[in-house]
Amino acid sequence: MADICYEDETSACESRPLWSSRKWRIGVQRFRMSPSEMNPTASTTEEEDKSEGIYNKRNKQEEYDFMNCASSSPSQSSPEEESVSLEDSDVSISDGNSSVNDVAVIPSKKTVKETDLRPRYGVASVCGRRRDMEDAVALHPSFVRKQTEFSRTRWHYFGVYDGHGCSHVAARCKERLHELVQEEALSDKKEEWKKMMERSFTRMDKEVVRWGETVMSANCRCELQTPDCDAVGSTAVVSVITPEKIIVANCGDSRAVLCRNGKAVPLSTDHKPDRPDELDRIQEAGGRVIYWDGARVLGVLAMSRAIGDNYLKPYVTSEPEVTVTDRTEEDEFLILATDGLWDVVTNEAACTMVRMCLNRKSGRGRRRGETQTPGRRSEEEGKEEEEKVVGSRKNGKRGEITDKACTEASVLLTKLALAKHSSDNVSVVVIDLRRRRKRHVA
Amino acid sequence: MESSKQKRCRSSVVETIEAPLPLVWSILRSFDKPQAYQRFVKSCTMRSGGGGGKGGEGKGSVRDVTLVSGFPADFSTERLEELDDESHVMVVSIIGGNHRLVNYKSKTKVVASPEDMAKKTVVVESYVVDVPEGTSEEDTIFFVDNIIRYNLTSLAKLTKKMMK
Repeated sequence: MADICYEDETSACESRPLWSSRKWRIGVQRFRMSPSEMNPTASTTEEEDKSEGIYNKRNKQEEYDFMNCASSSPSQSSPEEESVSLEDSDVSISDGNSSVNDVAVIPSKKTVKETDLRPRYGVASVCGRRRDMEDAVALHPSFVRKQTEFSRTRWHYFGVYDGHGCSHVAARCKERLHELVQEEALSDKKEEWKKMMERSFTRMDKEVVRWGETVMSANCRCELQTPDCDAVGSTAVVSVITPEKIIVANCGDSRAVLCRNGKAVPLSTDHKPDRPDELDRIQEAGGRVIYWDGARVLGVLAMSRAIGDNYLKPYVTSEPEVTVTDRTEEDEFLILATDGLWDVVTNEAACTMVRMCLNRKSGRGRRRGETQTPGRRSEEEGKEEEEKVVGSRKNGKRGEITDKACTEASVLLTKLALAKHSSDNVSVVVIDLRRRRKRHVA
Repeated sequence: MESSKQKRCRSSVVETIEAPLPLVWSILRSFDKPQAYQRFVKSCTMRSGGGGGKGGEGKGSVRDVTLVSGFPADFSTERLEELDDESHVMVVSIIGGNHRLVNYKSKTKVVASPEDMAKKTVVVESYVVDVPEGTSEEDTIFFVDNIIRYNLTSLAKLTKKMMK
């Protein structure tokens, strides 16, 4: 036992700063305690108190995650969305129990990697100056749970769909695309993200074509009476977030932008018909791009890729462009949004605005903030943290605070877009990516 | 004389539909319900019924058409210039809208197909329109022909479904 402990310490020292190592060691000890033993003793030092706070924070996040399974998150965009999430959450509850049991029976000598649970996120979606709302947003934290002998990880799904022609294709994507991605993810052993996403999008496209041919959705409010709705389609920008990677699959002119170390890093490229490679592809397929209020495929559609729009195939394809980005400590947040935002707000401006929102709300959590905090204030924060350990409601509130910051950031971006006279629906998702750390438990 | 400065262009689109003439004509002639077969029309409101004839079907009737999102226009205002149920001819002018189609006038004629007069119908839609500034004549014709072809293809599918 002594040797094993020594190895752990050595490994920690090699890979982490000394201070971080101390936190890590204390965290390990805490993990093995039962909940009743978690109350800090009066003799703890200020430093130890901070370490406990960090562990308690993670524990509260875990409780919040389960609480989120039982009740709707305030950040949900609509009752319908809440309903959908609840269904998925029911599945998650079962998986969660299984995971807990597995952890309990794992021998203490083995190293178990456990990652943070769901990231904070917020969403805002407004009709804006258009007559109808044809955007849709899908939020599915922990939609895939992977369990191996040595680790358990959760993947999180976020999708933004901007419909055109009518709303039912985007609505269908919201209901189904994450399920298709989930199926592909669970059946794929090699985690070949490009192929997984391409198959998911192709299946989604075929579903909306087939579905449109048989019956029109009862929720579809348009007055279209045509026998087929093949002039209806949607963009789809999807992000799957794993402990190690950010995967983005994009089809159309919505966009995903990562904020890394204060800088905007686009993770998708808009599919505009006059993008040189898209123009070549369309022309080689026998199509044509005409400038009629912007570049349009056959003069009609202002994007070169979309789910649906069967009448414009093969010129308008549903094949997504996929990017896989390794996560780093510098990653701050991810923004998914429709062109209602990006047509009037630059990537850099959006990142700057979101950054201000998130930093304002969670400044205390930053290291620099900690080091600059006066002793008295630090004591007060310690007390607050102790109090918040007590009840799940307070944990929920704590979680809400961070989600609230993401939601406020999303709302602020939509307001900015409207102020800049965006003429479209605007939908924005902000996902907080900070403090993604692995913990080793032995 | 002013109009002669603006370049004009003209074209025709022909579509053979596997349906009897009376059925095809009954859909085409419904000036107040273009969304029945026109692919990019979301809804239609009659502005005035014109003089004489049934409501919304008289010469001079004007309709306000709302177009679907994603299309390079939001609305179109159109007037029925002629409607002849004996020669199966319909003439429509576009008098407003944000589609860049100015001085547009189209004539749609429906005849029974010589191949099979009882079961096939030939629809001919001819039009003239100004070439918008900054757009070539070729692109203008391509664009308008495309829209008309989509509409007539949709009409063919609709009549096929109605005959089942």
